[in-house]
Amino acid sequence: MSESFSLSPLEIEEYRLGNGLRVTLNPDPAVPVVAIAVYYDVGSRNERPGRTGFAHLFEHMMFQGSQNVPKAGHFQYIMKAGGTMNGTTSSERTNYYETLPANQLPLGLWLEADRMRSLAVTQENLDNQREAVKEEKRLRYDNQPYGQIFDIINQMIYRNFANAHSTIGSMDDLDAATVEDVREFFRLYYAPNNAVLSISGAFDSITAKELVNRFFGDISSQAAPPPVDVSEPPEVAENYKKYEDNLAPFPAFLIGWKIPPRRTRKFYALYLAGKLLYDGESSRLYQKLVKGDESVIQLFGFTDERRGPSSIFVGAIPKPEKDLSQIRETIMKEIADLAGRGPSPEEMQKLHNQLLNDTVRMRQSSMNRAQAIAEFTLYDGDPTGVNRELEELLAITPDEIRSAVAEYLETENRALLDVVPGK
Amino acid sequence: MSQNLTNPPAPLPPVPFSIPEASRFRLSNGLEVVLLPMARVPLVGIRMAFFSGEADDPIDNFGLTAAMASMMTEGTEGYSSRELAEKAERLGLDINIGSSTDFLIASVSGLSIYTDDIFELLSEVVLRPTFPENELDLYRRNTIENLKFQRSQPNFLAAERTALELYGQHPYARIAPSQDDIRRISVKALANLHSRRIIPNNAMLFVIGDFSEDDIRQRIEDSFSEWQAGEQDEVAYPQPPKRTGRTVSVVDRPGSAQANIILADIAVPRNHPDYFPLLVMNQVLGAGASSRVFMNLREEKGYTYGAYTRLDLKKLSGEFEATAEVRTPVTADALKEFFYELERIRTEPVTEAELADAKNYLTGVFPIRAETLDGLAALIVNQHLYGLPSDYLQTYRSNVSAVTADDVLRVAGQYVCPDRMAIVVVGDAAEMLPQVDSYAAAVAVFDSEGNPVDDAGKSVTAEQIAGKWDVILDFQGSQVPVTLNLMHEGSRLSGTLETMLGNGIISSAEINGCRLRATATAEMAGQSVELSISGTIEGSTMSGTIGSAMLPVPMPFKATKAI
Repeated sequence: MSESFSLSPLEIEEYRLGNGLRVTLNPDPAVPVVAIAVYYDVGSRNERPGRTGFAHLFEHMMFQGSQNVPKAGHFQYIMKAGGTMNGTTSSERTNYYETLPANQLPLGLWLEADRMRSLAVTQENLDNQREAVKEEKRLRYDNQPYGQIFDIINQMIYRNFANAHSTIGSMDDLDAATVEDVREFFRLYYAPNNAVLSISGAFDSITAKELVNRFFGDISSQAAPPPVDVSEPPEVAENYKKYEDNLAPFPAFLIGWKIPPRRTRKFYALYLAGKLLYDGESSRLYQKLVKGDESVIQLFGFTDERRGPSSIFVGAIPKPEKDLSQIRETIMKEIADLAGRGPSPEEMQKLHNQLLNDTVRMRQSSMNRAQAIAEFTLYDGDPTGVNRELEELLAITPDEIRSAVAEYLETENRALLDVVPGK
Repeated sequence: MSQNLTNPPAPLPPVPFSIPEASRFRLSNGLEVVLLPMARVPLVGIRMAFFSGEADDPIDNFGLTAAMASMMTEGTEGYSSRELAEKAERLGLDINIGSSTDFLIASVSGLSIYTDDIFELLSEVVLRPTFPENELDLYRRNTIENLKFQRSQPNFLAAERTALELYGQHPYARIAPSQDDIRRISVKALANLHSRRIIPNNAMLFVIGDFSEDDIRQRIEDSFSEWQAGEQDEVAYPQPPKRTGRTVSVVDRPGSAQANIILADIAVPRNHPDYFPLLVMNQVLGAGASSRVFMNLREEKGYTYGAYTRLDLKKLSGEFEATAEVRTPVTADALKEFFYELERIRTEPVTEAELADAKNYLTGVFPIRAETLDGLAALIVNQHLYGLPSDYLQTYRSNVSAVTADDVLRVAGQYVCPDRMAIVVVGDAAEMLPQVDSYAAAVAVFDSEGNPVDDAGKSVTAEQIAGKWDVILDFQGSQVPVTLNLMHEGSRLSGTLETMLGNGIISSAEINGCRLRATATAEMAGQSVELSISGTIEGSTMSGTIGSAMLPVPMPFKATKAI
């Protein structure tokens, strides 16, 4: 069985340039493809009241040109070289990444270095990207049924502004931003000493180091950005809220809990408990609610993994005429069962096999490896965490899952958001 | 440092890439097998694909293939639905059965140490599903709720209207079944479809991943050589309609924060010789974030978060579409820019630089798609299902490179025809109409249920339709009289349905515009039967259908209100 299965560690080399840029190299020649991920240590957690949405606005600004790259040139250089790219923003970080044919490594590094050194922060780019962000907000949040519920429940779970406010931010704050504000944000947070450069795929390490040094070596470091306080009291900010959603066809609800930071044993235990509760058709809640009671149309759940206090959610769209409070009671009963009896041996075997399968699948893609390595480097200062995470998860005992569920989920300390269709 | 960093650096020497060669053979029952070894990851994936899809559904039972695909994992001879999910998930295996317009594909994959179980579960769900009545009942009810949910999503409404505009009577016109279609699906119909379609001579089996060829050939023999061949259905498809002029349709979604725009036309089937020139043309025009329409509508004008064009090429036909979600007040401006770009690509040759960029992109991203087992599987499965040449993957990049600017101009002239495109806009109709009405002589407006709005503009009340209705049902050619009694309390309707076989109670009824939708539960020949009534009311007459899960097709009826 799975005992016969072992996974060799990824080969990773880590070093730091004189300007503080942390670099990780993970060579693997299997397919002639190279993935580059640049992670900046800035997310919505770094934003102050009145200045929300900046981290995400920057994700857009970073495609607007720099000293040697014209506006939108980044897309074009990557695409004409046969690559794919994107950027994303979370509470924790902003990332930029590209996958290219292996021989285009120099181009990818040159592009990332040029914008790290000399982003074009102009009034015109700022105005234009503010509009693009507003359109993105309309598309993803305002025009979708249930599009705003995750932003709302985060404000119910977290008390600290750094954790509670949304990544997309306030459009008023964005409108109030001046070019000077944006330049200062760039200087502070987009410095090499605040970033990680991670490369995976088919490349020669000596060549890669020469290229990294040539393109990034002379970018000036900056003073460290101000420290972030993401500390939270254990209590959620608000236990209950009713929200009228004009686009929602059915009522729905979302329950959220505040849980310990990522990579702690308790976080891992709750992540695994979540898998047992809501992941897949054999999960406890799927079997109880979708199959047994036949009471919900959609069931979903996930963990939001953060360096500070994190969170876990379970939500459902019940069938019309079904009693929402009864569905929530079933959920809490199942949580109470997990908190009392813990997972069964079959459930532990399931977690074991799924973790192995997930890890093997993740490692197939150069981009997934580059991103995972960058994350461990940025958050923990240790890229080899990527090789230990599986073992750490497999080491979690049934009793740890049981007691973490008892401590963090089987409690009144939770946020409940009721969504009611508007008129 | 004195390096010149002004210009992009030259690439390193190119690294060759070759797609592994697949081997192919056939079992005596007609099952075609394709083996593609990929030893670098300890995974095995199997895909069993069938050459029948949703477009092959009977016209009056749309949704049957999709239902069969879902139901194949809801109970088999050896496992209940729950046992199957538990076994697969306990071993970390992924099971998925899905249908598209043209095909049905069953897939099981996981760690190669579980190859035995992967084969066992695939054979079980493909060969031995039992379609339990209670699971089908749940499927019907959940699917109906999901259909209602889809109607709240603007991209679904846009896609649905577009398919109807383009395909008319062709089976590609429908992208989702109706609630009545779902109610009509029976265990018998599923078992019948399974016996006709899930046969080895209508299938291809693909095995990809970490295995030894001898071992896997033996497993395939053991699992599938006993499977009996059957007779293949001959299906005659109508030709997709030829579009002759531009049409404009608006789907009214009151309160929308945006307008979802689709401009669409019929293109060619997937195996058409113009595929590579079309692919390159679409890349220049709108496939990506450096393409013309994105650069224009998003980067220059800021109308939208994304604007694209795409080719969706299927077995029998295909579509070319331009799409964007824009803020409501700039709908007309966005259409103007779309038409500008569509006109430009078909009248002016693309520049050499644009051509080279598009080709470099398409050839460069190709290896990225082959990095993962699922990516490689998708490439090899599509190649075989669409009947593409045996060296298709090996020659893909040289075929892209051979496309010229003249080829692009030729296919753009032929397939990008702004004068005959279907324009579909989903948004707040009151705000849309003044912005789109100059693009065609008439604008057709629909509500989110798909009903023309002229119809929905008029409406009847519960009070007006309450009373006794004499109904004549057309049951397989014979005329059957039935009585429908409707009562109202305020706007709520209730009532009874009296038939010769037994009487029913109206359990739910609602009016939407001039349409009545009601459900009656009747005792007939000792059995409880659910009947769905759908009618359109005009004054004192009503016409529509009454359907039930027992009937292969719903019965049409005409009714008059007794005075």
